[in-house]
Amino acid sequence: MQRRTLLKASLTAAAALSLPLSVRSAFAAEPFTFYGLKSMSGAFASYGKFADMGSRLAVEQHPDILGRPLNYKVIDTEGNAGKAVRKVQEAIQQDGARFFQGCTLSSSALAVAKEVDKAGGVFMTPVGADEVTGKDCNRATFRWSVPTYGAIRETIVPLIKLLPDAKRWYTITPQYVFGEALLEGAKNVLKEHGLEHVGNSYHSLQEQEFSGYLTNAISTKPDVLVLLNFGSQSSNTLRQAVNFGIKERMKVLLVWSAGLDQFQELGSDILEGVYLGAQYWHQVDTPLNRELVKLTQAKYGINPTYPLAADYISTKVMLDTIISTGSFDGPTVAKAMQGLSFEGPTGKESIRAGDHQVIKDYYLLIGKAAADMADKDDLAKVLSAGQSFPSVDATGCTLA
Amino acid sequence: MSEKNPLPFAKTQSRAMLLWVLAVLIGLPLILPSATLATEILIFAMAALACNLLLGYTGLLSFGQGIFFGAGAYCAALLMIHLQMGLFTALLGAAIAGGFLALLVGALAIRRTGIYFVMLTLAFSQMAYFVAYTLSGWTGGDNGLLSVPRPEIRIGDTVLLSLADARAFYGFVAVLFLLIFIGARRVIASPFGSTLMAIRENETRASAIGYDTRHFKILVFVLSGAVTGIAGALYAMLLHFVPLSNIDLAMSENILIMTIVGGTGSLFGSLLGAGSIVLLGDFLSDLWPRWLMLLGVILILVVIFMRGGLWGGLASLFEKVSASRKATVVAKEEGL
Repeated sequence: MQRRTLLKASLTAAAALSLPLSVRSAFAAEPFTFYGLKSMSGAFASYGKFADMGSRLAVEQHPDILGRPLNYKVIDTEGNAGKAVRKVQEAIQQDGARFFQGCTLSSSALAVAKEVDKAGGVFMTPVGADEVTGKDCNRATFRWSVPTYGAIRETIVPLIKLLPDAKRWYTITPQYVFGEALLEGAKNVLKEHGLEHVGNSYHSLQEQEFSGYLTNAISTKPDVLVLLNFGSQSSNTLRQAVNFGIKERMKVLLVWSAGLDQFQELGSDILEGVYLGAQYWHQVDTPLNRELVKLTQAKYGINPTYPLAADYISTKVMLDTIISTGSFDGPTVAKAMQGLSFEGPTGKESIRAGDHQVIKDYYLLIGKAAADMADKDDLAKVLSAGQSFPSVDATGCTLA
Repeated sequence: MSEKNPLPFAKTQSRAMLLWVLAVLIGLPLILPSATLATEILIFAMAALACNLLLGYTGLLSFGQGIFFGAGAYCAALLMIHLQMGLFTALLGAAIAGGFLALLVGALAIRRTGIYFVMLTLAFSQMAYFVAYTLSGWTGGDNGLLSVPRPEIRIGDTVLLSLADARAFYGFVAVLFLLIFIGARRVIASPFGSTLMAIRENETRASAIGYDTRHFKILVFVLSGAVTGIAGALYAMLLHFVPLSNIDLAMSENILIMTIVGGTGSLFGSLLGAGSIVLLGDFLSDLWPRWLMLLGVILILVVIFMRGGLWGGLASLFEKVSASRKATVVAKEEGL
């Protein structure tokens, strides 16, 4: 009797061991939770809403992962770096969270990156701060968006070629780290091409009234006015510039636009003839973007915006890498993501191993006239696309 | 039950209050989902308590609390990052930074009273934000100051307790909060505290009977600044990071709201105020993106219907219940 029991037990154990890993773990069926860091409330709630939609699209493509049900949990960062860090700490300590994607504010992303790295997790973010893949880079953190260097190169250089007679350039810059990085890049490019930087106006991050800066710009008689601010500040500058009749006097370039949702808010009257830099544009014809547009329209009835696309692809890359490595171990997944090539919304994209920066296109667009628009979202046309990145040595990242 | 006029301090009442605080300190990490959340509540309770010394006990509405909170956070972080200072030196540095800035702000602001005093603290608050924003080499500017350590408690080379674990850090903050709470109660119960309350009730009269009210107000400002600085330092250690928002006007507003919601003139109310605002923020933000509007409604309701804040509301509820019990007992006795 005992021998029979032993035999049965041995057979059961052998059968269980011979099953593939995924099937074995399905027995446990403990859900795997993927964390989205989204500013669902507060000042950046409109950004967070689209970012969350993107992550959800990617998560829905995987009802389960390596045999475990896939759970998606949103952490509301409230547009507040302190809250974001505290909630991430809680998730790490209480729930053993390891895989995070998102963040709207650069300050949140930089601090979250340190926490996730300490916990041995993986974090992918679309924020603008170059420090994420620069001096504050770490083993766990990856960035999808093109750095300030690429944004400047892929907008000003093609524009110089398009406007050979534009010799005098004026900039309006928000006075903080991000704005300074854009300004330095712009000055370097203009100097390389022998063009004159006739002046710059700094403004604070609280500023919403730009008429004084625009008057300064007009007084220097530039050929091109370059706006280096972003978000609501760039929208307000652009609106006020149009009211001042600046579009009739000079060309206007907005280097770091937020893409479709910002363009919808501004409308074609403001955007017509304005040059716009963008991380993503829904009309770009690439295999993954076609699929993303189809998915987004089917689920949400809209075209994908930049935050939606950025968080979709980042979530997708992380989940796909977990599947390809067959592991939920943060360092294993992070290592596999280094140097990874994948189909992204902008075409073939890859993650540079030296600083964890995604190498992808940045776009120069031009705002369309209302009469030329095929549909309500056909607000701009792609003029050029390209990839410019500083060398790993120049980023200050010491991962290698 | 009300602490509004704590003179004379009944020993039993004081002990009961301490027991309440102890119960909350022990219960918080057990009730709440995480020790980190409980720690954040205590840190803001400490800041609200310091604000209460000004607003509740001296009648000074200051929008400058964010300056001291941020200064404490930056000072402690810089001492630990650049000079590898230990835990207690960093906290002492934060207290000195908060106290010193409070001395500067207080010395200038209290020259004016009423709305002009409030406006001056507002102006200082804006100025401090832009100083921190401009000195990005030191403060990290908009990106914040990263990699703030959380040192262990040590004597010489001997490590007594590592604070890396969230529960250990909560324990440390709880002990510190208790000490500050006891200290604040002693201050309030002292002749100094009585003078502060005399200033709150009628500054002209306090001045007429011989008190140099300006000195008293500066002293309480420094005390409040030092405690707020310590709270800022603990927040930096909790997050391992000092966001620029630590020193902005919204931080001052937040601390003020916690103080008012909890109950001005009640130190225990500071704990209630901080707890309710932090927890409401977490809860409401899950319900509605524009949750700050709901918080505004709650603040309006508290101000209109609970003039003593949550503590005042609770106290009046206890009083009503005990009065109704007494009435029932008397009625029964008369019936017999």
